[in-house]
Amino acid sequence: MIAGKTWREIRWMTLIYLLIFELLAIPVLLLWPDLYDDFQRSTLFKNFPVHSLKRIFEGVSDKNEEIAFTNWAAAMLYFRSVNLVGIAGAVLFGTALFARERETRTLEFLLARPVSRLSILWQKTWPTTLAVLVPIFLVNWSAIYWSQLIDRELKFAEITWASVHGAAFVWMFLAFTTWMSVRCRTQAHVAFWVGGITIVQLGLYMTQRIRPYSLFRLSDFEWYGPILAGHLKPWQMFDPINGIGFTTWVLLATALFYFLAWRALRRLEP
Amino acid sequence: MTAISVRNLDKRFGDRPTLRGVSFELEPGGLLGLVGPNGAGKSTLLRTLIGLVPRDAGNVAVLGHDPRTASLAIRQRTSYLPGETGVYQQMTGAAFLHFALGFYPRQNRELHDHLAAEFALPLAEKVRNYSAGMKQKLALMATLIPDVELYVLDEPDRALDAKVRFFLRDVLRILESAGKTIILCSHHLSEVETLAHRLEFLIDGRLVPTEAVTRAREVLRRRPRLRLRDQVELPAGAQLIEREPDGTLVVETAGDPLAWLQQLAPADVESAEVGVVRLEDLYQLLLHQPAEATS
Repeated sequence: MIAGKTWREIRWMTLIYLLIFELLAIPVLLLWPDLYDDFQRSTLFKNFPVHSLKRIFEGVSDKNEEIAFTNWAAAMLYFRSVNLVGIAGAVLFGTALFARERETRTLEFLLARPVSRLSILWQKTWPTTLAVLVPIFLVNWSAIYWSQLIDRELKFAEITWASVHGAAFVWMFLAFTTWMSVRCRTQAHVAFWVGGITIVQLGLYMTQRIRPYSLFRLSDFEWYGPILAGHLKPWQMFDPINGIGFTTWVLLATALFYFLAWRALRRLEP
Repeated sequence: MTAISVRNLDKRFGDRPTLRGVSFELEPGGLLGLVGPNGAGKSTLLRTLIGLVPRDAGNVAVLGHDPRTASLAIRQRTSYLPGETGVYQQMTGAAFLHFALGFYPRQNRELHDHLAAEFALPLAEKVRNYSAGMKQKLALMATLIPDVELYVLDEPDRALDAKVRFFLRDVLRILESAGKTIILCSHHLSEVETLAHRLEFLIDGRLVPTEAVTRAREVLRRRPRLRLRDQVELPAGAQLIEREPDGTLVVETAGDPLAWLQQLAPADVESAEVGVVRLEDLYQLLLHQPAEATS
């Protein structure tokens, strides 16, 4: 019941979110031949003062066009779209989950239904999670088709694994937003906290010496590039002992935020 | 087994005590009316009964379950109408009903048809286009149609006109005659008085003791209301309590009010009401003069 209602509330937003994702992907891929020429000629990018962005510009102007294109896809499809549109979607979808029920005074009605609070959280969570994460896979798989139109190749397996990590990162933001939505009285407060923390994290990421302390370090070009190039194997993404394991850490953080959301919901007084 | 058993229930919000040592019992099939001023703790008490709000101290059993540990078991056998009308604005009335009733395995179809015919809500329209009264009717349908054992109604007659309130009274009687247990709080004292087998007054987080209510009733029984012809003086042995705008006098007699009244010649009295205790008066007496009422 609750899952169906949640889906009906977000279905049009999901479609628009998917379209925005796709519309951001198509031109950057189709314009690649012209852009590559520009990158080859330009020296401005190579002297860019922000180290992380400089690395991207170096990667996309690599003399080997195949490597350069893979780096371009990593930068545009993941570092840009997943971090920008994905997180915006997670915040947009997650903010309303409980805070809107409070604002519209329907929370008491909902909590009084003969259904457990864990079930309420679950039934609100899974449609929202699918709505936020599935477009990441669909759009990035569609990039395989768009890249073929400009005689370039993106491999399905690598695209899928990079999308798994991108989706895990966005899911962590969705879980955090869900937790905040349970705790905060209004949607504006949720947006303030989640938006504020995201901006602080971005600020950390853009500052050279403290960049490793930013959450965005877990979802940047330097992870997606090696995954798309096939240098970082899937087991290394998940194995925190013998590999790097950053996807596992992100998933553990997601689980922690959902646990905190459930604990807060269990104690919630309407 | 009692339907509801509450013993020494305490609840605080921060430093503010909301419920203080509340105790009462309600038998299955009973209808308990809960009366009290705003902020007395009525809604908190109802929320505590179905486990929406945890108690700080005391023992509570609803349909044999403790709301602290088995609130789901209680809610599966209870239908609750919140004090603030909680209906989803973006849904149509029909979609909201479908959503709200879908949580309950059994529904009273006869009552569904009865309510639908009487309320005549435009169920195909979005709830956001409904008036406050229409939203309350929709919330009532969502609450009364599930076939459960206990109905917990927080101001069910809010935003309803007199005609619908009378209809609601009949519906509650139907549920009551079907053996359902009902607990309701309302600010329409006459409705509660007409419906409830039992009344409890909740003032400042405490239930007024039965003895105090009995004493207050005795005080009010000694307060005849009468209208006298012009120029007629009140006989000795009574004190004027209140002169109402229409000229009705409320007096308190030292002894038997009927004996006192007989001092007046019948021709001097336009109207008299003796021994009748109005809920409004009882409520006012308990609310504003607790010392007098409970002494």
